[in-house]
Amino acid sequence: MKKLLLLIFALALVGSCLIGSTAINPLDASPIERDILISLRLPRVLFSAVIGAMLGLSGSVYQLTLKNPLADSFTTGAASSSALGAVLAIAFGLPLALVPICALVTGLIGLLTVYRLSKTNGVINPVTMILAGVVMNIVASAVISFAKYFFEDSLSSIVFWLMGGFFVVDWGKLLLCATVLVIAYLLFSTQALQLNLLALDEHSAQSLGVNVDRLRTLAFVVATALVAVAVSHTGIIGFVGLIVPHVARSLFGSDMRQNMFYSSLLGALLLVLADAAARTIIPGGAELPVGILTALLGGVFFLYLLQTRRERFWHG
Amino acid sequence: MAELRVENLQFRRGEFNLRLDDLIIQPGEKVAILGENGSGKSTLLQLLCGVLHGTGKIFYGGRSLQKIPVAERAHLFSLLPQFSEVIFPFSVEEVVLFGRFPHRQGNSFSEADKQLSKQQLEQLDLLQLRRRQFNQLSGGEKRRVMLARVLNQQAPIIYLDEPNASLDIRHTLEIFELISGREQTVIAPVHDINLAERFFNRFLLLKQGKLLADVSRDQLTPQRLTETFDVQVTSGAAAFTFCHQ
Repeated sequence: MKKLLLLIFALALVGSCLIGSTAINPLDASPIERDILISLRLPRVLFSAVIGAMLGLSGSVYQLTLKNPLADSFTTGAASSSALGAVLAIAFGLPLALVPICALVTGLIGLLTVYRLSKTNGVINPVTMILAGVVMNIVASAVISFAKYFFEDSLSSIVFWLMGGFFVVDWGKLLLCATVLVIAYLLFSTQALQLNLLALDEHSAQSLGVNVDRLRTLAFVVATALVAVAVSHTGIIGFVGLIVPHVARSLFGSDMRQNMFYSSLLGALLLVLADAAARTIIPGGAELPVGILTALLGGVFFLYLLQTRRERFWHG
Repeated sequence: MAELRVENLQFRRGEFNLRLDDLIIQPGEKVAILGENGSGKSTLLQLLCGVLHGTGKIFYGGRSLQKIPVAERAHLFSLLPQFSEVIFPFSVEEVVLFGRFPHRQGNSFSEADKQLSKQQLEQLDLLQLRRRQFNQLSGGEKRRVMLARVLNQQAPIIYLDEPNASLDIRHTLEIFELISGREQTVIAPVHDINLAERFFNRFLLLKQGKLLADVSRDQLTPQRLTETFDVQVTSGAAAFTFCHQ
């Protein structure tokens, strides 16, 4: 199964490089087409894979640490509050390197606010968490709208950034995101067995030797760093982190040693395919922001989860 | 194995106030905590194993509990909470294997850990359920799986919060026989006084957060139970008695 999935992923990478506004035959490519392949399509496809893996990995960690099957960067408000930090950084004209840092700070503030609001007597209420996430999204959107209105000079940069997607990709961005992904993945891998114990109630995890508060803080910071860096470069791409951990869990089990790997791989696959679709779905060379496709897919999946887990959700 | 000592333990939450001045529990003792709902049985258990913090001191083998790191505590105490959950579909054997976490080698479990887990599954009549998802089990089956996880931890002190909750009488007897026959210290709030009297040898009687009495089996009189539960208790032949076939 693992080999099959890796093969599908490899084929998706290659196929995605070759399709677009014009299909390219690698065996019969002109110098210009070869240049398009190497300089434009390859970094873009790899970039979408890296961003997908970042969102998939963060979703896997969020769902376990927040004990909520509906948790991902979007539903927890982490993505919108990260976007808020990035928008403010752009609006105030801060250097580009500071944009992800501002996104991380506001993303963490947003996530921790949602976490605090949804925790009562040591138990996280999943319904309150989703409601708090909705409120966080509304507040962040309102402040972003205010920033667009107030900082007229930066309006065009903000609007372009908010459109999201993979319109402007270069090898430097790709390298930065890939480095953050690898560091986060390695860090989580060392904690995978401990993370599994967060599936238990807090007292049981603690009695097994897990410092729950410390582990959860580490998980929040690193997962939000993944989201903040992804959001800073592509805008909000919702629901990837919601969908893929469930698919990974149903195919390969809940053990985080597997789930984190397969969530990353499936996240990468999903975004590569979604980006390929976004580039080809409209005839004539126009392209959709990829976030529209993932939101459509994710919205349907969200409804499916609500329907199938409704009983357990409302009654805890 | 070492003694557990409590000095001036106090815990307050709203109107509720739990107080325990002095208590020493010797290695191997089987201690039942008896008391009505809300008397502080679970709170006391959580304080003793360090997942809840109050004022006062708790020592294990002369070492203050506060100074023992969380990871090391897992080698000394294991806890079965009153309510246990596992979010996401983990299998029964994975949940039982969680009990070996304090003994793990790096980021994986050894073959010896897996073998011990299998033995626990066998002991608790769970081997045929090992591939099933924990969340799909009945309440009693879940309880037995969690108990297997706790016993798999092999800690010298085992805290069990109402170990027989949701269990039928056969499994209740099996589990009480199992835990009373172990050499580890067992401390457990128990609601069934007859079962507690049969399988435990020391009784802490709690009422509204206060320790009314700390007695052995022959001192567990109807009068003390009447005081503890505010109901008339008399001793005599029960309508039904249970033992293994």
